[in-house]
Amino acid sequence: MWIKRLTTFFTDAYTNPKIKATLLVLYYLAIIAGLIIMYGKGDFSTVKFVYQGF
Amino acid sequence: MMKRTPHLTAGIISVPILVAAMLGFNFYAESLESKYINALAPLDIRQARNGSALQRAAVQQPDLLPIYGSSEITMVATDYQANIFFQSYPTGFAVIDIANLGMSSITMAQNLAALGPALKGRKVVISITPAPFTMGALSEQYYAGNYTRLHAYEIIFSPYLSLDTKSAAAKRMLDFPSTLQADPFLKLTLAALNKPSLPTRMFYYIAWPFGELQAIVMRLQDHAAVIAYLQAHSINPDIQREARTIDWSGTLTAALEEQKMHTLNNPYGVEDTKWKNYENLLSSPIVPGLGDNRFIRYVQGAREWDDLKILLSVLQELGAKPLILSRPMNIHLWEALGVSEQAQNTFYTKLHDVTGPYNVLVIDYREYGTDIYFSIDQASHTSRKGWVYVDQTLDNFFHGRIH
Repeated sequence: MWIKRLTTFFTDAYTNPKIKATLLVLYYLAIIAGLIIMYGKGDFSTVKFVYQGF
Repeated sequence: MMKRTPHLTAGIISVPILVAAMLGFNFYAESLESKYINALAPLDIRQARNGSALQRAAVQQPDLLPIYGSSEITMVATDYQANIFFQSYPTGFAVIDIANLGMSSITMAQNLAALGPALKGRKVVISITPAPFTMGALSEQYYAGNYTRLHAYEIIFSPYLSLDTKSAAAKRMLDFPSTLQADPFLKLTLAALNKPSLPTRMFYYIAWPFGELQAIVMRLQDHAAVIAYLQAHSINPDIQREARTIDWSGTLTAALEEQKMHTLNNPYGVEDTKWKNYENLLSSPIVPGLGDNRFIRYVQGAREWDDLKILLSVLQELGAKPLILSRPMNIHLWEALGVSEQAQNTFYTKLHDVTGPYNVLVIDYREYGTDIYFSIDQASHTSRKGWVYVDQTLDNFFHGRIH
């Protein structure tokens, strides 16, 4: 029963242009946030070397 | 429009939201860095060297003096080292080291270029030694060991530097191809800058927005790395300040005594642990002046001078107020190794010839050339006693007593 209600809620929401637009924006922001979490960490490491003076 | 192109509209709306979020994050990160930079200054944090966020926070702090340098800063662990000596703000300021073994003028130029307009009117100290100008060229492994993509992009795509300076930097950076292997875009841009012509200039200007965008992304990543460091370490931003008058004469005497205890096995002031490198060389007498010609030829043609010019151009174009702080050559040790005092003077003459046109403060400590306890070796790595002279100079520079 609750699944039907939930489905109806989303179907109604998606047919409402304003809610649809908001959901789409959130969808894109979620994708961007996911990409930042997955690939956003910078690499500031340097190559290791043995200092042998001059 | 929303009905016809809902995804495009949503995508377009997402962009300003993303930009606003990034600006907010940038503001938050900068305020955190500014709050913690004094507490972070005495610590040896890799992100301070390899990033720019903490360097930018340091130059903007009125009671911090950044010192850029190499092994002469980091080699001798002693309480006389400036960032420890001034840790309690005895005369109203502390020192932050941006230094690492093998760090050269071109790496310092990249680091400072990344600070952009934040450098305008700010005092910075550039610490150098005669070694890279007199003893050996910058090796690729030293350069690569101090190379970061962020700094490379910042100097090459900087809107605050002239094309001439960027071209000179590009030409030098192409000498170290191993650092560019994973970055064909940067390599191509460097090649374009290195060969000035209308098509290559056009390529540079087309590439510029992409390079700048990449630099912005790396700047945000740098902020994130600093925040991650602060979260991983419990740092108290409230620092202890203890104003006192420094007894320079007493400090110098104490440092000399300490230095002598580390210099017991030779008459040249070489640190005991380093003497074995010279023992064989000096086991039989060397004809005085035997190495003069080779030395003078080397000094005159050293590539490091070109790198120093790039560094000075960056400082000048960004409006910094630098002090170029060199070190003395150990006259007696060099003479024993076959280079006369007259030949050694080539270094000082060339140093002032190169720095002269840039109208910067230069201190070379030449008058301490006969003081065997100023440095710990032939490469002029600063000794405990030498650090006291350096500390006094930094104090005078910060308080405007050097003109």
